[in-house]
Amino acid sequence: MSLGGFEVAVVGAGPAGSAAAITLAREGVQVLLVERGTFPGSKNVFGGRIYSYALKRLLGDSWKDAPVERFVRKEGITFMTSDNAFSVEFESKDPEGSFTAKRAKFDKWLAEKAEKAGASLITESRVDDLIMDGGRVRGVVAGQDKIPTDVVIACDGTTTGLARRAGLTSMLEPNQISMGVKDVIELPREKIEERLGLEPGQGAAHVFIGACSGGLRGGGFLYTNQDSLALGMVVGGDDVSSHKTQSYSFMRKLRQHPKVQRFIKGGKTVEYDAHMIPEAGPKMLSRPYTDGMVVAGDAAGHLLNNGYTFRGVDMAIQAGVAAAQTVLEARKKRDYSANSLKTFERKLHADPALKDMYTFHRVPAYLRNRRLYTVYPELVCAAAEAVYRVDGTGKKKISKELRLQAKGRVSIFTLIRDLIGGARTF
Amino acid sequence: MSTEESLTLDKRLALVSFTKDAEPFIVVDTNKCNHCESKPCLYICPAEVYAWKEKLNYNTEGCMETGACLIVCHKIGAGAISWSYPSGGKGVTFKLG
Repeated sequence: MSLGGFEVAVVGAGPAGSAAAITLAREGVQVLLVERGTFPGSKNVFGGRIYSYALKRLLGDSWKDAPVERFVRKEGITFMTSDNAFSVEFESKDPEGSFTAKRAKFDKWLAEKAEKAGASLITESRVDDLIMDGGRVRGVVAGQDKIPTDVVIACDGTTTGLARRAGLTSMLEPNQISMGVKDVIELPREKIEERLGLEPGQGAAHVFIGACSGGLRGGGFLYTNQDSLALGMVVGGDDVSSHKTQSYSFMRKLRQHPKVQRFIKGGKTVEYDAHMIPEAGPKMLSRPYTDGMVVAGDAAGHLLNNGYTFRGVDMAIQAGVAAAQTVLEARKKRDYSANSLKTFERKLHADPALKDMYTFHRVPAYLRNRRLYTVYPELVCAAAEAVYRVDGTGKKKISKELRLQAKGRVSIFTLIRDLIGGARTF
Repeated sequence: MSTEESLTLDKRLALVSFTKDAEPFIVVDTNKCNHCESKPCLYICPAEVYAWKEKLNYNTEGCMETGACLIVCHKIGAGAISWSYPSGGKGVTFKLG
């Protein structure tokens, strides 16, 4: 069967796809949004937080009816050994800067906005292939359906199926991916607020570095929903494979830590989620466009993990909008060639939010330094123990104590080199 | 046993809903696995789709569709896995995500 009459096919009704569809439909473009899940969001997993600015820009005031769990006011980081923890907390003054959410609700809500704007959504439809015509993309094939369009926007996620078919990337390398696993743990809202030290309705985000990843590249995270905690681990794909440690086994390490136990004790685990994260950034594609197609979101590495903020949904929305604007310009010129669509890349670099991906391009390499997950969390905890413990055996000045604790763990030369490297990277 | 120890992977997977796909979306050339030293699929998969018992066994019904097995199999392992998403509407559904 041939489904005709659409100018643009957007593949994947995640944040990038829906943002692109909204932007196009508003301009009267006939756009088809194709989703393989039973509903938008049903296949999608993330840590737990969305930065609000992208939604405000896309939707104006109507972003306010987004399915927000809690606005995040408290940021925390914990360096942990197996039985100790050194935590730092910060309370943001920005009341609505970011919020926690559940993707099954959020993605569905955003796709409904696209439908309201005039896009057609079909679910339970897996795009298997591109319609190719002499190297140019001319639509998509979904099961029995051939859907010819002028241009395709591929927002099909980390596995980059369509970008690979179009020859924009080969397969990712194991050190370019991480595996994220997550438990959603139900707890009464008062308990969540009491344990995290929150005012009613406010939310927290917390990062864990150290023993939980067993020395491998990775770390833990905690986000507060209204009535549940999203607790998860992210570990490097290469490390998991070479250390022969099962990716989900890190959850037990994290959950059993005394610091984490105090948060989750008595909670009921109600869902287990997993997601592969592309860590290479936008360079995972040779370019995010080809004749007749642009690629946005996870599929094009439009996300950012700089070690302390994890951004996927906001970047995906920004990139989806930029992809749609590129298509709108090409539509005016009636030219969907790669040469016409290459303005997409310029837009990505010019967007002040997306520019962060390029600013922090050295981070993935820096984060491969194992000392970040072993030596340094141990050093921080040991130094804190030495500094705060008063047991009558005599105290040393802090600078001396730090040097003593570093001794045998890391050479001063290496420490300084890592510090300078960090200063250049972040 | 504490709640932490009793929360096995099987119990976790029971919290997620799966709709069986009639067509096989993962196919493994298991002969290749016999010569695979590293067997990275056993470790990367968050749902233990792959298991080793004298030979490679796989059960796609608990697949969470991350796609990571394909990458590690071809880049570190024996290149035995063919992988696609399940057909539309089939496979995993996350109620929260």
